[in-house]
This record gives sequence, C-alpha cells and structure tokens, in this order.
Amino acid sequence: MTSRERVLAALAHGEPDRIPIDLGGTSVTGIHASVVAALRDYYGLEERLVKVHEPYQMLGLVEEDLQDAMGLDVQGVFPRKTMFGFPNENWKTWRMPDGLEVLVSEKFVTSVEANGDILIYPEGDRSAPPSGRMPNDGYFFDTIVRQEAIDEERLDPSDNLEEFGPITDEDLEHLRRGVTRVRGTGLAVIASFGGTAFGDIALVPAPFLKHPKGIRDVAEWYCSTRSRRDYIHRIFSTQCEYALANLERIYGAIGNAVDVVFVCGTDFGTQTSSFCSAATFRELYFPYYKQVNDWIHRHTGWRTFKHSCGSVERFIPAFIEAGFDILNPVQCSAAGMGAEHLKGSFGDRLVFWGGGVDTQKVLPFGTPDEVRAQVLERCQNFAAGGGFVFNSIHNIQARTPVANVSAMIEAVHEFSARRAGVVHV
Amino acid sequence: MSDLQKLYDAILNGDAKTAVAVTKEALAEGADPLEIVTKHMVPAMDEVGQRFECEEYFVPELLLAARAMKGSLELIRPLLVERGAEPAGRVAIGTVKGDLHDIGKNLVASMLEGGGFEVIDLGADVPPEKFVEAIKQRGANLVCLSALLTVTMPAMRTTIEAIRAAGVRDQVKVLIGGAPVTKRYADEIGADGYGESATSAVALARQLVSEGVAR
Repeated sequence: MTSRERVLAALAHGEPDRIPIDLGGTSVTGIHASVVAALRDYYGLEERLVKVHEPYQMLGLVEEDLQDAMGLDVQGVFPRKTMFGFPNENWKTWRMPDGLEVLVSEKFVTSVEANGDILIYPEGDRSAPPSGRMPNDGYFFDTIVRQEAIDEERLDPSDNLEEFGPITDEDLEHLRRGVTRVRGTGLAVIASFGGTAFGDIALVPAPFLKHPKGIRDVAEWYCSTRSRRDYIHRIFSTQCEYALANLERIYGAIGNAVDVVFVCGTDFGTQTSSFCSAATFRELYFPYYKQVNDWIHRHTGWRTFKHSCGSVERFIPAFIEAGFDILNPVQCSAAGMGAEHLKGSFGDRLVFWGGGVDTQKVLPFGTPDEVRAQVLERCQNFAAGGGFVFNSIHNIQARTPVANVSAMIEAVHEFSARRAGVVHV
Repeated sequence: MSDLQKLYDAILNGDAKTAVAVTKEALAEGADPLEIVTKHMVPAMDEVGQRFECEEYFVPELLLAARAMKGSLELIRPLLVERGAEPAGRVAIGTVKGDLHDIGKNLVASMLEGGGFEVIDLGADVPPEKFVEAIKQRGANLVCLSALLTVTMPAMRTTIEAIRAAGVRDQVKVLIGGAPVTKRYADEIGADGYGESATSAVALARQLVSEGVAR
C-alpha cells in the first residue's frame, strides 16, 4: 500500500497493511523545531537548519527525508499566512534562546525586552504593537492580548470579523500550488484552509492582526459565550457564510486532491471537564459546524478533522452528528477519555487521529521503555477495525528526549509488524 | 434593610451590576461588611464551586461569578482593612517563571478570594524571588504555583528550592496546579498539595489553614 492508500483505508474504517502515522501534517500534530533538529541528527540525515513553519508554537517542518526515515504517511498543506500574519518566505536564520539556529520567515521580526523576553510583531511590522511574547529562555510564543476598553453600547460583531472574508486570489493560488506539490508524493494530504473554526480561543486574540478590535481578551470571550450570546451568534453566522463561499472556491481550485480538511481546532475540553455544557455546544456551535461539514460532504470527497484537547467525551455524539469524521488529539488522560471506552463507544463512526502517547507526562518525562509500553497499548486499543491514524497527543513539545520519540516511532512499526505476522508475539 | 439574598443570587448568576448595587445599598444602610462577606459572598462562591464540581457551571459561569464577587469585594475590602479583619489566609499566587498562561491561575485566585482569602496575585512568568519577597514582606502563608507547559514545570521545583534557600519554607504551605501537573509531581518536588481544579485548590487551602498551618 502507498501511504495515501494506507490512510484512506484507515479513514474508511478498514485495516491497512500497517498503522498510518502523522507527524507534522497540521499545527496540532507537529513537532517542536528543536526536536525536529534532534531527530535529523538521530537519523543521520543531511545537516540543514530546520524551518520553523509555525512560529507561534515554533513547529519545525518535517521534510521528506525525515518523513521517510520515520515512516510517516501524511503531508500537510498550510495556509499562506502564519499565526503572526506573515507568509513563510525568504527564509533567514534565527537563534532560539537555547542556542539552536533555525530558519524563519523574513517577516519573523522580533525585539528583545530588558528582561530578555522576545517580542514578535504582526505581519512583521514593528510599527504595530507586538502580538506575541516568548519568555526569556522560553521555547514558544504566547499571545499578547490587545483588548481595547469595551463599551457595551458600541459593541459591533463586525469588529470580531476583521480576519474573516472572501479568500484572496493570492491565498487561493498558494493552496492550489501547495496541494499540487504534495499530491505527487504518495502521501495522504491534510489541508488547513482556515476560517472554519468557530470560537477557537487561540485565534480570538488575533495575533495576526495589527490592531484587533472587538472582544479579544480570552476571559472576556469566554464570559461572552454566556453573557453576550447573540453577539457571538452574529459573528459565527457571518463567519459561516464566508466559510461556505470560500470552500466552494477552494474546491473549484483543488478538487479532490486533498484527502482530509482540518476544519476546526476549537478546544472544548479541560483536563477534568469541559469549557461548556453539551447543551451549550448544541445551541452555540453545532449549527455552524453542521453547515460546514454538510457542505464538504455534499460537494467533495474530503474527510473532516476536528481537534479539541481535553475531556470531550460528552460532545462526541454531537461531533459525529455535526459531520466530523475524525477526532484529534484524543487526550486519553483527560476525564472520560479512556482509549478502550472511546474505541468501543464511537470507533465505528469516528476516526481517532491521535491518542498514541501522552505528551504531558510519558513522552517528555518517561523512559523509552515506558513510551514503548504505552504506544503498544494504545495501538492495541485503537487499531482494530481501522479508524486509527497514529499521532502523539498534540504536538511533541520542546525538550522531549529524542530517544523517547524514536522509541515511540519504533513501537508503532513494531506493533504493525507483529500484526502483519512479520514478528511473532 | 436591603435584601442580601439578592447579593447571593447576583454572584451566583454572574450579575456584577446587581452585586455592586446591592452591596452599596447594604453598606449605606449600615450592614456589617464582614458579615456581608462571610454570610453571603463566601456561601455564594461556595455554591458556584459546587455547581462547577458537578458540571452545572463551566468556565464562563465561574468567570462571571468571580467578576460579580470582585465588584462587591472592592467596596468592602477597604472597610475590612480599616477594622483590621484577618483573612482566612494570605495567598501569594502566580504562574512560574517562563509560563505566560494565566487563565487557570486567575480562576484559582478568584475562587480563593471568594473563599475569604487575601490574594496577592503576582501575575504570570513570576521569578522565584518574587514569591520569596511575598512571603517575607507581605506575610503570605500560602503559595500557589501554576504551570501549563511541560517545559515550565521544572520552575515549580526551583521556586520551592528558592523558598527553602531563603529560610522561609516553614512559614508557608505550597500548593501547585496546572494541566500537566500531578499529585505525584507535587510529592516529588516537595510541594504540600496539588489541586486538580480551582475548587479543589480552595478546599485544600482551607484544610491547611484549619490544621493551623503557617498562620
């Protein structure tokens, strides 16, 4: 089987020749640049600087040679602009606080504060207020919230819609080229178009905008989902209209050359509970997701991918009803998210893209043996009957030992080989 | 006399406007500020915590209730200070050095404040010496450390070590929390407790205070 056939088989709830693996296909299934660099060393690949393609979480591009070395099956296509609003072009070198030299976009413009914190600017424009901060000795940027004083009488949903609108010809051409480039690799293609996540809290502060207006503070937004629900509905409703029109144009440009679409990264779960009730999800979010997914399923062959961290078991029936085909990152350590329970309850209707290993405890802090044991167990839990694409639970974080990442990959291949009868248990 | 049940209801419903109005009215009519806190506000926030625990309330409801409580408390606090009323405990709280994620910390701070504690909020990305300073100069007897990232968890250990090195470890109890944090990690680094949620942090803080620790 080719990688693409393998992934498509898994998505169709069939058992492929081996478990397909994604690492680096999206901004939530990736690897921190420092770990990508360590993996390149580990596998003895050509010495070259790692490209930071997602500067917010400092994710490193997993290039073809590393994909081959690790036996990966999924290739990502990303939007033209990053979380800080600039395109990845004209790469330049940049030294991370830990000393590692990487490549970043020419528009990756930073300044250093007196305490050593690094500030980054939207669209690389230093005349605008900075929109991200990496603490001194840090590994990631975090959003700087820029919230103007709220005048209740003058709140206007259009202020929260600045980032949504008809897709530009430039963005469309970027997607078309990206898809064309990766289509020939033999890997399955997952594309992130943007614009279809409703209320993604990482996007609400809009680190990509120079002067965001409306409700941009995280706590204020959460409060608004309860206290200003009409306002939120008006945002979602217009956003949804744009999204449907854009999907039509995108499909016109790329057709079915994409296998999976990253529809939404809105987090609904916490470690122990959720950010809202199942009833609120039904009332506030469900109608818009259903419209987007229904359009995709009616008009395209794409599968729809839903990311939500945390405990989301209570929402899964609604996710399925809203037309999501795939759930990620499947945080098994969160309340009610046990692997066996999820597979038994929803495995015939939902593809689990993730769940492979815990990135909060086991992968960064465990031993290679502990990593191997958990990966084998999770593969056992999820692989039967297909419907499983292996991925760690969210991005592999900075400072994760490379021996643990290689143990993770080897364990997936070991499991697949055992199932194929190459190695007898 | 103004109906303080309305204050309780306003906090429960996250209605800051009403909470402030009722508090103003009650104070103008001579209501005892400490009683307003202990008999109405603390029970209201306890009920909010209960509803959060049983998943009737979620983060938005918690945030709105905390705002209502704070609006009311801002009017009352100067009066309590004037009479020298002692809080349930004095808590220095912050996200550890290198960690900018403060939503969880803010929720815990609000719940502690609603539980009658004095909260010294040191903010986000707080170096160890700031916690030491809060203990030495502001009399904090509880320290709450928060971390969201696996790469910043080790700063919890270094903060506790700094508190020990400054010779004030026996003056405080240290509670830790955050997404990747566990009870096991708390034990490993010598913290006194681990809170899984904002409400469990309050229960733990109360327990430590009732045991007569470090007051």
